[in-house]
Amino acid sequence: MSINWYLAVSATVFCIGAAGVMLKRNPLVILLCLELMLNGANLSLIAFSRMWGNGDGQIFAIIVMVVAACEVTVGLGVIVALHRRRLPIDADELRELQG
Amino acid sequence: MTLATSAWLVLACPLVGMLSIALLGKKLSPRLAGTIGTLAIALAFAFAVVTLIKLQQLPSNARLETTSLWDLANVGGVKIEVGLYIDPLSTFMILIVTGVSTLIHLYSAGYMQTDKGYVRYFAYLNFFVFSMLLLVLAGNLILLIVGWAFVGAASYMLVSYWYRRETATAAGIKAFVINVIGDIGLVLGTLFLFRTMGVLDYGQLFSNIHVAFDKDAPELVAAMLLILVGAFAKSAQIPFHTWLPDAMEGPTPVSSLIHAATMVTAGVYLIGRLHPLFEWAPTAAAVGAIIGAITLLVAGSIGLVMTDLKRVIAYSTMSQIGYMIMGVSAAAYVGGFFHLMSHAFFKALLFMAAGSIISAMGGNQSLNNMKGFRKAMPFTFACFLAGGFALSAFPLFSGFFSKDTLLYEVGARGGWYWALYVAGYVGAAFTVFYTWRMIFRAFWGQPCKEAVVVMETGDAYHPAQHTNPHTGNEDDPSTQEVEDPEVGFPGHEHRYAEKTWQMRYAMIPLAILAVFAGVIQLPFGITNVISDFLHPTFADSTVAYMPEDSGLEAFGLILSSVIAIVSLIAAYWIWVRRPGSSAAIQARLPWIHKLFVNKWYFDELNHAVIIAPMAAVGRFAKNTFERIVIDGAMVGGATGIVRAGSSVVRSGQSGYMRAYASLIVLGLIGVALYFLIESA
Amino acid sequence: MIAAAATSIKAPYIDWAAFSPIVALICGAVIVLLIGLLPGRRVREQIVPGATVLTLLATLGLTIWQWGENTSIISGALAVDRLSLVLNVVFVATGLVTVVMSLRERATVQAGQGEYYTLLLASLAGMAVLVAAQNLVTLFVGIELLSIPLYVLCASELQREKSLEAGLKYLVIGSVGSATLLFGLSFIYGATGSTDFSGIAAALSSKGETIASNPLMLTGLGMAVVGLGFKAAIAPFHQWTPDVYEGAPSPITSFMSVATKAAAFGIFLRFMDVAVIDEALTWQPLLAALAAITIVVGNVGALAQTSVKRILAWSSVAQGGYLLVGIVVSSAAGLEATLYYLVVYVVMNLAAFSVVVARERETTHGDSLSAFAGLGSKRPILAVPMTIAMLSLAGIPATAGFIGKLNLIGASVDGDYAWLGVLIAIGSAISLAYYLRIVAVMWMPDRRGDSPETDRPHGQPEIIGLAIICSAATIFFGIIPSPIYDLVRGAGESIGLL
Repeated sequence: MSINWYLAVSATVFCIGAAGVMLKRNPLVILLCLELMLNGANLSLIAFSRMWGNGDGQIFAIIVMVVAACEVTVGLGVIVALHRRRLPIDADELRELQG
Repeated sequence: MTLATSAWLVLACPLVGMLSIALLGKKLSPRLAGTIGTLAIALAFAFAVVTLIKLQQLPSNARLETTSLWDLANVGGVKIEVGLYIDPLSTFMILIVTGVSTLIHLYSAGYMQTDKGYVRYFAYLNFFVFSMLLLVLAGNLILLIVGWAFVGAASYMLVSYWYRRETATAAGIKAFVINVIGDIGLVLGTLFLFRTMGVLDYGQLFSNIHVAFDKDAPELVAAMLLILVGAFAKSAQIPFHTWLPDAMEGPTPVSSLIHAATMVTAGVYLIGRLHPLFEWAPTAAAVGAIIGAITLLVAGSIGLVMTDLKRVIAYSTMSQIGYMIMGVSAAAYVGGFFHLMSHAFFKALLFMAAGSIISAMGGNQSLNNMKGFRKAMPFTFACFLAGGFALSAFPLFSGFFSKDTLLYEVGARGGWYWALYVAGYVGAAFTVFYTWRMIFRAFWGQPCKEAVVVMETGDAYHPAQHTNPHTGNEDDPSTQEVEDPEVGFPGHEHRYAEKTWQMRYAMIPLAILAVFAGVIQLPFGITNVISDFLHPTFADSTVAYMPEDSGLEAFGLILSSVIAIVSLIAAYWIWVRRPGSSAAIQARLPWIHKLFVNKWYFDELNHAVIIAPMAAVGRFAKNTFERIVIDGAMVGGATGIVRAGSSVVRSGQSGYMRAYASLIVLGLIGVALYFLIESA
Repeated sequence: MIAAAATSIKAPYIDWAAFSPIVALICGAVIVLLIGLLPGRRVREQIVPGATVLTLLATLGLTIWQWGENTSIISGALAVDRLSLVLNVVFVATGLVTVVMSLRERATVQAGQGEYYTLLLASLAGMAVLVAAQNLVTLFVGIELLSIPLYVLCASELQREKSLEAGLKYLVIGSVGSATLLFGLSFIYGATGSTDFSGIAAALSSKGETIASNPLMLTGLGMAVVGLGFKAAIAPFHQWTPDVYEGAPSPITSFMSVATKAAAFGIFLRFMDVAVIDEALTWQPLLAALAAITIVVGNVGALAQTSVKRILAWSSVAQGGYLLVGIVVSSAAGLEATLYYLVVYVVMNLAAFSVVVARERETTHGDSLSAFAGLGSKRPILAVPMTIAMLSLAGIPATAGFIGKLNLIGASVDGDYAWLGVLIAIGSAISLAYYLRIVAVMWMPDRRGDSPETDRPHGQPEIIGLAIICSAATIFFGIIPSPIYDLVRGAGESIGLL
């Protein structure tokens, strides 16, 4: 099967993620969408790894998963802190910093 | 002491003076600060003399030394040193700068004695002199730009020295902004040169220029025109001159310093310094000469109608600098720098004498109120006369010889330079008129009340209230803004020369020089001190040093004498014998008077062409200071765009993180599109 | 079978000596975290910063020990050369300054002493890895190790809403940037079959045209530029900068504005000038355009702001545009000019931020411009360093910033991008409007009389000391710049530029 199909799927996943970040207001959903973006990239890494027949891409993908987990953890932590301060969990309400 | 050491010491003295005054600050008594400041410059003058002696000991074809302390830049083949370029021209300049500045410092020590900011004042003054010396001694264009920018900053600080006067701070900002425009021109011109030649040291520039560019190559002309913008801004040439009259807001000794020794002569020096480049780009040199000629006429005509004593002298400076710019651009180097020297003497003297009168008037500068100071202030009168004779190029005074040398050299070029020659003599008539108008109005006639006070009490007239003469009606102090002399405004007591020894001793040497300095360079080769001295610097010139033409020289001298004497007599008639006749002339030619009084509408022109449209775009100015600062940029013509850009950028900063993410994606699409188009 | 597999995997040889600075940072981070768990508030507040400082000093020592090395370690994953060593010194110095600034910071208490300083060290380790990275994987790991602790640090003032907002904003926007970068890196890997910079460069030069015009490669390169540009706050990927800088605790803002910027430009330089140097003719115009946009946007954005931290944020965007010029020309001169300006920028920006931090604690006006009103007459010891920093950022002669800009302009002219040099000059002219505004607010006599009272004027000698040292250095390097030249010289050659 041509590499292009894998790339098409990975690009679609990436774009869905990007669209989600731009459209969704709930920070939790935004975090999910960020995961989608990273996983889209992961998919293409693994596909390329297959294509070239070397392991570099796969190792890269595993490391990316670790990093993604860290990012989500931090993101959830911040959301919890926001919740504790009784702040709205809504990306659009958080705009005291502007101008 | 070697030549290099003495040159470095010339530079070090004012720097040390400035630092010690600034750092010790309030711990110094005012008198001590003045002493340190004056001594620092006097010491610099002594070292300048040593430099001169050392330089003269070298054989005349090797009178050039470069010296460097450390590298200012050294990356990727670009090497810029903190280096000096010591040759007859720079030595000539440091002698004038330090010599005249020493006397101005001495004068200031008396004049500013009761001012509360005395200590700060001397720190600024020393910094100003240091900047000018750096500019003059710099061994490459970058260091010159540094000195150039420092001079601009120093002038800003000194012009707005009375920082609580709104008019003074506005004038300071105007001076600074116009100077920054000049700086940008200079920097861009330097960049142009550097781009092709890859060097910035004078020596390498001069030796490579004929290889790097064809004669009058467009890129070279462009570069030199940009550099001329810098020279025009600093030397107050049209159309960058509007800051100079406003700069009269500074204390009078500062005006004296700006006009005589530092700052405005920088443009003349720059053109002289870069003469091999200008001679290789004759188009640019011609532009310089023409602008100089226009400036000398326009400024002279405005000087005829100004009623503010200091502004008359300011316009006369503009006019005289116009002569010099015209001269050095037209390769009249000896005349140009000779005139620079004699002008430094008599202009410093005139400002000092004017300061003395203004003090006696209690701070009022309007010629309309001054009358009959002849008897009240004989010393000031004598000095003013000496300066006036020299300025109006009365035969045998220094200005006579220097102006004639300059015009003779210009005329000797032949061709269209004749037009400049004629303009120079027309300007000479203007000069005589405005000079003597000033003298006749201030010193002749029935003594005014201030002059009577001086005669009767032996003390200056002190008005009940301190007011700012530049607000309200300039002739009527009661309409003017009231000031508090304690801080940020002029001090409460006024000093004039007859009562203050520092002022007197500063003026005496200048008066002598203004009268006699001409003897060192007399026509027909009788004495040749300046031309011989400067010869090593300008020996490489291909257009200066025309064959002698004593017929032309003699003609010039006679013409000049006739103009000076006839105009003087005419002026005497107009302002002394028939006091009403000037008003009659005004009435006869109202439009000319109006044109002159409104300074040929240059401020209005700037306003109509640049400021008004920009202001329409940039209405949303937030507060005053911002407006003032950016108003300056308006002269450069960019504020509106910048403001509009600012509001666009800030409105984009909405605070929505989704919007930020969207912009990144948009940017990404843009970048990707670029690459895809590239790959196709 | 496991044993067989174990023998077949050959572990790479690790040059521990060259690797030691990074190891020291990571070990230090762990130790500091453990110390933070000790009971007793006093102990925590004194030992934790002390241990952090010790770690940084050890790192500095190890870096100096490795000075002059020029090797690749761990199978070519990391490079120890002049570029990474110089930047290591910058990071450690910034770290030390940040520790000093944080000593009385509320955030350290709210987030926990141990955690705060551990995150700082971890972020520094990420920077050290990033600027040494010679491999797409290490590049990504470095960037994330740098960023994730910073997301937390931005939000570390848990009681302040703006701090939390800044943290979340930075996290979300930053992750978009990272994901974009990653996607781009995967394309580059896909186009060249290698994750090593040298392998990528080899593939580009050997296959020539076919890869150079390969859409996969170019799209990947574009996305990588966006990702890196995000970290370096290059417009139009800069929008997080003002908001995050304003919201984050001031010591962290200062840390981000200098260290993150230095790290981002370090990897930018290495990636562009090593991995994809053969594509230079393609990416140069793009980066030149981005630099131009950044200079303009940064400078106009800073006008009419009232928060000093925001002004400095926009100014850092503009300064990033200047720095980018050195990358555009992709020559040794450009690289050295960028590196030089980075060092100078760090010094002058730290001077400015020390004063901001000091004022924030002395008054109730926060970082608003009004906190600086009349500072010149009341607290000249703070006003003078701030003035020097502003003048230097604006590039006034006799300050280090002037020399830095001079080098960048020189490099741009040298590399046939003279118009960018002109733009730097114009940008500097615009920047005078906001830098001088701060200076004016400090020195102009206060007409309205609303200048803030100084509450605790003498409570923080360490910050005042910092401000004085940094501003003195700014002047010193403006007059005698040769020490920094000696520091950066050879950085271009070490990564193979002419």
